[in-house]
Amino acid sequence: MSKNEEKKLRKKAAILSAKNGIREGIIDFLKKSMDRNIFDAVLIPMRVPADDSFTYVLIRDKNLLKNAFPLPPVMSIQGGKAVSSITRLGKSNIKIAAVMRPCEIRATIELTKLGQTNLENITLIGIDCPGVLPLSDFLNNPEEGMRLFDDAVSRWDDRIMRPVCQMCDKSSMIVGDLHIGFLDAEKDSFFIISNSQKGSDVIDKLSITPQADISSWQTKVEKISEKKHKKREETFRELKSKIDGLDNLLDTFSQCISCHNCMKVCPVCYCRLCYFDSDKVKHPPEDYLERAKTLGSIRFLPDTLLFQIGRMIHMSLSCVSCGSCEDACPMSIPVAQIFSMVADETQSMFNYVSGRNLEEPLPLTTYKEDELHEMEDTHG
Amino acid sequence: MVKALKINKDSEQAVIDLLKLLLEDNRIKGVLTLKKINKKGDVAYTLITRPDELDDAVPFYPLMPINAGKLLSRFTLKGKTREPIIAVVKPCELRGFIELVKRNQGNLENLFFISSTCGGVYPIKMAVDGVVKNNLSRYWDAVKKNENAADLRPACKGCEEFIPYTADMTVDLIGKNDLDKQCVILLNTKNGEQLVRNIKLGEFIEGELDKEKLDKLRVKREKEKKKIFDEINAKINGIDGLIDIFGRCIGCHGCMRVCPICYCKLCEFESPDSEYTPSNYELELKKRGGLRVPPGILYYQLGRLTHVSISCVGCGSCEDVCPVNIPLTSIFKKVGESVQELFNYIPGRNLEEDIPLITFEKEEFAEIEE
Amino acid sequence: MEKDKEDFMPKILAFLCNWCSYAGADLAGTSRIKYPPSVLPIRVMCSSRVDPLFVIKAYLSGADGVLIAGCHPGDCHYEKGNYYARRRFVMLKKIIEEIGLEPERLRLSWISASEGNRYAKTVTEFTEKIKKIGENSTKNRIFL
Repeated sequence: MSKNEEKKLRKKAAILSAKNGIREGIIDFLKKSMDRNIFDAVLIPMRVPADDSFTYVLIRDKNLLKNAFPLPPVMSIQGGKAVSSITRLGKSNIKIAAVMRPCEIRATIELTKLGQTNLENITLIGIDCPGVLPLSDFLNNPEEGMRLFDDAVSRWDDRIMRPVCQMCDKSSMIVGDLHIGFLDAEKDSFFIISNSQKGSDVIDKLSITPQADISSWQTKVEKISEKKHKKREETFRELKSKIDGLDNLLDTFSQCISCHNCMKVCPVCYCRLCYFDSDKVKHPPEDYLERAKTLGSIRFLPDTLLFQIGRMIHMSLSCVSCGSCEDACPMSIPVAQIFSMVADETQSMFNYVSGRNLEEPLPLTTYKEDELHEMEDTHG
Repeated sequence: MVKALKINKDSEQAVIDLLKLLLEDNRIKGVLTLKKINKKGDVAYTLITRPDELDDAVPFYPLMPINAGKLLSRFTLKGKTREPIIAVVKPCELRGFIELVKRNQGNLENLFFISSTCGGVYPIKMAVDGVVKNNLSRYWDAVKKNENAADLRPACKGCEEFIPYTADMTVDLIGKNDLDKQCVILLNTKNGEQLVRNIKLGEFIEGELDKEKLDKLRVKREKEKKKIFDEINAKINGIDGLIDIFGRCIGCHGCMRVCPICYCKLCEFESPDSEYTPSNYELELKKRGGLRVPPGILYYQLGRLTHVSISCVGCGSCEDVCPVNIPLTSIFKKVGESVQELFNYIPGRNLEEDIPLITFEKEEFAEIEE
Repeated sequence: MEKDKEDFMPKILAFLCNWCSYAGADLAGTSRIKYPPSVLPIRVMCSSRVDPLFVIKAYLSGADGVLIAGCHPGDCHYEKGNYYARRRFVMLKKIIEEIGLEPERLRLSWISASEGNRYAKTVTEFTEKIKKIGENSTKNRIFL
């Protein structure tokens, strides 16, 4: 699709009613879509029975939709992982609408490029994202967390959200087949924008006409993105000074216990058996001893940095800065911030934004003959 | 009564001095112990070969960043060490390693062990803000007084297995009022005795653990354990109770990865066997109307119980690492102990005891058949 | 309500060892011995082939009962498979009990190839017992 066509598709949005709040409005829209057999099932977050967290649920029974929670206060499961769980082994035979945050959709798109999801019969629906709370903060007091979150969303205030969310300049990025915007909408409505043929088909079948102008939403989104981008640069500057050099880097990861939680929850790290859990990193005792002898002592397990930097090499071009790794780290290492910082740099080298567009090939699976000369040795 | 080495120094320092001498004398070639690894004072397990590197060692630091049994397994997974190594470990870490050796995941040859009567450790999350550092004096006061320090991990508060079974040397710490002035190292094995023979440090005496004193602590811990188990029992109540407890699991499998008993290279629950095909999903949706994605949280947790409970040493690593604070150790320890009791098995007590599931007696459990 | 319980026909998953219990079930069939149509038999080569995970999976998938049947102790085709199976079963039942699930839904029976009657009796009894306990409610759980 050319850039122009893309713009045209997006130009107008359909307005939907949200008399009982955005959540009800979105649920209503999904229910109608299911009524008309546009979707057979919906993948959407729901509260767990104990009321202390949220998880994705694939809903086929429409009556369950009333418990759906399109914008949960935490990201306990990355949506990309959820879509991959359903379609990793083949395309879905039923039509599924997946409602998630922009970074989750971007992860889904990256996973698709990596052959880990099949988007046939999946319609991705994104939402303006206010960010989420740090998982551990929320779990300490779910009730209070919910209250604080609702309050913050009503003011679109991100100060209590996770650090990666505070500096996310893609929180309203239109990347799915459909995008739900409510950032600038009147109190009792929200709008839905189609971003692909699949998306337009849904809107057509619902016989709603996209006629609303969204330029004021766009202006607002741009303003917020700009502000967050500034924050991003600031955070990275600060972070860089903290982790610069080998000693600082070692200090940053000094408390890593090699649980590999970060890898396991990362939506982009999809390997069934991680290289860093494989036999490749298991050595005979002499090897460890030799290494210890040259230095006097080595940390055991060794190679904490090899894992962290190695993982960076494996996934930074596809990192979507979703923050899952930081949430899952039992030692509160700012993994997501560090990885985001590196990802921004590596992706910009290839003019690539992970998950922006399904058509853009992964930078390492393609090349141009005439590029990156600045990286070559000039021989004086 | 066994032979013992008495050194008139702070216990931790005495052990460091002993290790230094052993290295200097070339009686051993390496030491695995906790050590301060940076200026911040972060503590991690370290493999030390040069005596001066032991200056920053903290062998009895109340923290278990990783279960050392798992580390020793990694160290000897590819074969025995040719050069003698000594490891300073906690009783549950040693038991974890013995269980791993029974599973062919480690090799005991040329390994020596120093352990101690263990006062327990703090949650690793407390190491994040340096809280453990600030608690050290309070911790050692409690140990001297034969008490549980406040804020220990639940796994430790209720641990009755605080005396090592198979260590070559046991340092007596619990209830020792003078542990900062005097250190008694019991030489439990011939190997241990031989290793320190004629060493120029302290004096050789006859010694033993004060059973009566340790029993007092055991009673306190039993009470704590009962409290913890009662709490868990109240929560685990049928399928709904389990869903309530495990519902917030994010599927990071950190508990499996840090477990000293879970050694599989590729976990069953990360293998294709545990994945759902799109048609599996469809089937489940037809039956249930909806399904958690990814599914299998309970299958994973209950399945892991069937895999590890027979050998669970209750070390507390799983609960430590859980980012969503599920009381995993309490559950696994409770189930584990009840299963182990069936076979009169204490994991890691004795290398010669077979894991109950790989052996049998012809006349047993006749009542189970219906 | 009472009537519902009467009408309820449990779904029992039965792991039958190839050499004894499966043949026993066969004999029950060819001898035309009557027993309730509640059993879904799965033939395994030996009762020790039954991974405790199978049982957990069956339970979470909503099976109302799980029966594991093998040769009598001493008669195992592989000499000692059923002894191992017994230990595993003891462990599994304990785990199920300890986490507050329903151990009554599990059953271990020794049924030889010549015991068609015993097979029918076991199935009948077990079915009656499960009928009393009622349906396995994990069937319609979403958050598993």
